[in-house]
Amino acid sequence: MSFSLPYSAHRRYLTGIDWIVGALDRSARKAIGLGGFSQAIIELDGVVDEKTLRAALDQISRRIPLIHGRVARDWLNLAPYWKAPPNADVPQVPLRVVDLPEERAGDAERLFDEHVNVPFESRWQHLRCLLVHIGGRRSRLGMLFDHRLLDAFGAEAIFRLIDLAWRGQLDEIVPLIRQTEPAHLDHWRRRLASGKTLNRYLHRLNERSVCGLKMPVPGLKRRIRFQHDSMTPEQSAEFASKAADEIGVPIILPSAAARAIAAMRQVVPAPPLPGDQCLVFTSATNRLPGQEWEKLLFNHFALMGLSARQDVTQSTAEIAADLRDQFFEHMRLQIPFVMQDAGALGRICPVWLASRMMNALFGGRFCSFYFACLRETGFPGDSFLGLPAIGLIHKPLAFAPPGMNICMTWFANHFNLVISYVEGVISDVSAAKLLHIFKTSLLR
Amino acid sequence: MPDAPTAEIIQQQLCTEIQTLLSLKSGSVKSDTHLPSLGIDSLRFVSLLLVIEQKFGVNLMKAGLKPDDTKSVRNLASAIVARRSA
Repeated sequence: MSFSLPYSAHRRYLTGIDWIVGALDRSARKAIGLGGFSQAIIELDGVVDEKTLRAALDQISRRIPLIHGRVARDWLNLAPYWKAPPNADVPQVPLRVVDLPEERAGDAERLFDEHVNVPFESRWQHLRCLLVHIGGRRSRLGMLFDHRLLDAFGAEAIFRLIDLAWRGQLDEIVPLIRQTEPAHLDHWRRRLASGKTLNRYLHRLNERSVCGLKMPVPGLKRRIRFQHDSMTPEQSAEFASKAADEIGVPIILPSAAARAIAAMRQVVPAPPLPGDQCLVFTSATNRLPGQEWEKLLFNHFALMGLSARQDVTQSTAEIAADLRDQFFEHMRLQIPFVMQDAGALGRICPVWLASRMMNALFGGRFCSFYFACLRETGFPGDSFLGLPAIGLIHKPLAFAPPGMNICMTWFANHFNLVISYVEGVISDVSAAKLLHIFKTSLLR
Repeated sequence: MPDAPTAEIIQQQLCTEIQTLLSLKSGSVKSDTHLPSLGIDSLRFVSLLLVIEQKFGVNLMKAGLKPDDTKSVRNLASAIVARRSA
């Protein structure tokens, strides 16, 4: 049996995974001066009308004030929650517009890279847009988002929401978006058991030392850099089919992660931080079909650590099979749910303390790199504000440490591949080589 | 020792399990439902394989699945029966 105090029923308390993301965000801010910021960029065939876009963003700002919230703590139950701004004070989502002539189309990439590397202006700000018109024929709209507010799927769904606002359909959608979340103060015994299980799991993951890249000196402001490429729909389908054949079940994550590990070993054969295992933290979406609006805001994914031994020369297929077994073992132990449950317990700990504890536990080496393979998109449509949508890519965060993220996102039946890395962790030449080897191995 | 469940019973149980995993209404998954169209993600798919292992004693991950095996509940049930008798 559970009950909630009347005031708390209207709050959006952070879930366990929101709190974990908050702790990672804090570590990144401390290490490189940038939090967990990611950017989703939609590419359109035509020129987006600035006023139309502004009007749609304003509608969303007014109807979903939580997008301008900030973390606060309920001192009665000690649970953190996301505090919305006062009704009369809902700010705008910043929008900058740049017109580039066709001959300077290449500058767009630089502008988006700069956009992701500038922190938000205040703790109430979590979304910021950059619209680039190219040669009066094409547009690219980049949306920088705070990972504490939205995950990658949610960010793509915001594009869909902008489009629906333009179509005048926001009234139908807003009531579906969950803007409150109970504090989940019940089931303490189960949460304590989850905490114990998670503790054992994390210690087991760290029994062997983790190899990795060397982070630059903490405290200095560092930029995040990106390399990206795309696969064709045919190449993407071929990879999915090969991956299923390789491990015997229709799941692509183990095969994709194995190729990322193999590519990394090829490019960085002797990691600056030597270790006995390559530990990759990966995420898998935790939304059921039909929950895209209900779970629009905040984080809805499960985190897992997958490890490959450094001392054995394994083939990619062997690594994939090993990762598949670990994935199944994680599910057998219910690790994604244990992590959510234990996170709900850990929320009473402030993120700055949690971040320090994580650093102490792992010696600043949580994992070798992050890897994500998203096969669901929050923007399944093919038009945006009346213009054909021809691409949707991400410039995702590279949480630091380890300051390296390899990511596969899905749009219009094909994968986009992105490598994001903290400046100085790996050179641009090595990152480009890594992306090339990774893509090639996906096609082999 | 009780008789092994028939393919039909396995199909019915699979339909119920998939409905539970995806929070779908009762009766919404049938034996000929195209599984990929349900939008089952990797976490739920692995959970389904674990349920199959627990209920029917077949480790489909180790036994391996062909692409056609996951097209429908009927095909999945046939794969379970085939692996059990193998």
